[in-house]
Amino acid sequence: MSQRRALLKAALFAPVALALRPSSVEATDYASAAELFEAIDRLEADTAARLRRLGRAAPAARAFTASALADHERHRRLRARHRNRLGLGAAAVATATESEDASLAGLRAAQEALVYAHAEGFPALGDALAVHDLMANMVDLARQLTVIDLWIEREDARG
Amino acid sequence: MADTPVRLPRRDFVWRLARSAGVAPVVLGLLDGTLEALPKSEETDFAVLFASLAIEHEAIALYDLALARGLFPAGLRSYAIEFVGDHKGHRDTQIAIVDERGARAPEALASYPHGRLRGGDDALRACLDIEIAAQQAYLALNGQIRTRDYLLSAAFILVDEVRHMTVWQRVLGLKIY
Repeated sequence: MSQRRALLKAALFAPVALALRPSSVEATDYASAAELFEAIDRLEADTAARLRRLGRAAPAARAFTASALADHERHRRLRARHRNRLGLGAAAVATATESEDASLAGLRAAQEALVYAHAEGFPALGDALAVHDLMANMVDLARQLTVIDLWIEREDARG
Repeated sequence: MADTPVRLPRRDFVWRLARSAGVAPVVLGLLDGTLEALPKSEETDFAVLFASLAIEHEAIALYDLALARGLFPAGLRSYAIEFVGDHKGHRDTQIAIVDERGARAPEALASYPHGRLRGGDDALRACLDIEIAAQQAYLALNGQIRTRDYLLSAAFILVDEVRHMTVWQRVLGLKIY
C-alpha cells in the first residue's frame, strides 16, 4: 500500500477527526465538474501513454494494456455524454502519445492518481447520474490498479 | 443456517443480503433496479448508511469466522487480515457519520447465514461473493449521497471493495480483464 493511500485511508475513514487531517493528505477539492473532467482527461492521457509504452516493452502485458486502453476509450465516450448533459464544453482532442517510462512503479503512480481524481471529484459533479457513471468508470480503474499492484508484488517476490 | 453455500445470481445475492439485514424498502428498490433515484435528503443518507453498514457487518462476520477457523491458505491470510481491517474501518467510519448526525447506527446481527465453510475454497468464494455484493451496493447507492464528506468516504470505500474483489478473483483464477 502506498504511503499516500495509507495516509488518505487513515484520514478519510476518521470523519470525526477531519479537522485534524494533515494538509499533506488533503483530498483535492475540485471547484467544478469542468475542472474535474479536465483533470481526469490529463491523468488518463498520462496513464494511457504509460500503458502504450509498457505494452510495447512487455509483450506479456499486452492483453492487460489493451483492455485498459479500451476501457479508457469507453470512459471518454461516457464523459463526453456527461459534458454534453451538463452543458460543458467538449474535451480537447488528445493525441495518443507514448511515455518514455516503461516502469510498473510509474504506471502504478499514474493509475493511482487517476483513481483518486475520480474519488475526490464526485462532490464537484453535483449530479447523481454523472456520479454513478463516473463511479462505474472508477471501478474499472481501481480493478486495473489492483492488477498492477499484484503484478508488482509478484515481481518483488521474484526478486 | 444452510448446510451448503447457495450460489445466487449476483443481484439476488445483494438484495437477499440487504433484506435480511433489515435495509429500508427504498434502498431495496435501488438495489433491485425498480427505483432509479431517491430524493437528496438526510433520510436518504441514513438509508444508504444503514444499508452499507449491514453489508460491512456481514463481511466482518464472514472474515472473522474464516480467520478464526484458519480457512485461508497461509499465503492468503495476510490479504484476509488486510481486508477485514478495511471493512472494520468502513464500519467505524460510517458509524461515526451516523453518530455525528445524532442517530443510532444498526448493530451487527447475532448470526449470518454463511453456510458451511468446509475449506479454503469455500471461504474464498464466500468472501468474493460478499465483496461483489458490497461493490455492487456501493455503486448503486453512492450516487444518492447528499453530503460531501460522506460521498468522499464512500468513494474510497468502493475503491477498497474493488481491490478485495479483484484479489479474490485473481486468486480463484477468474477472468478480471
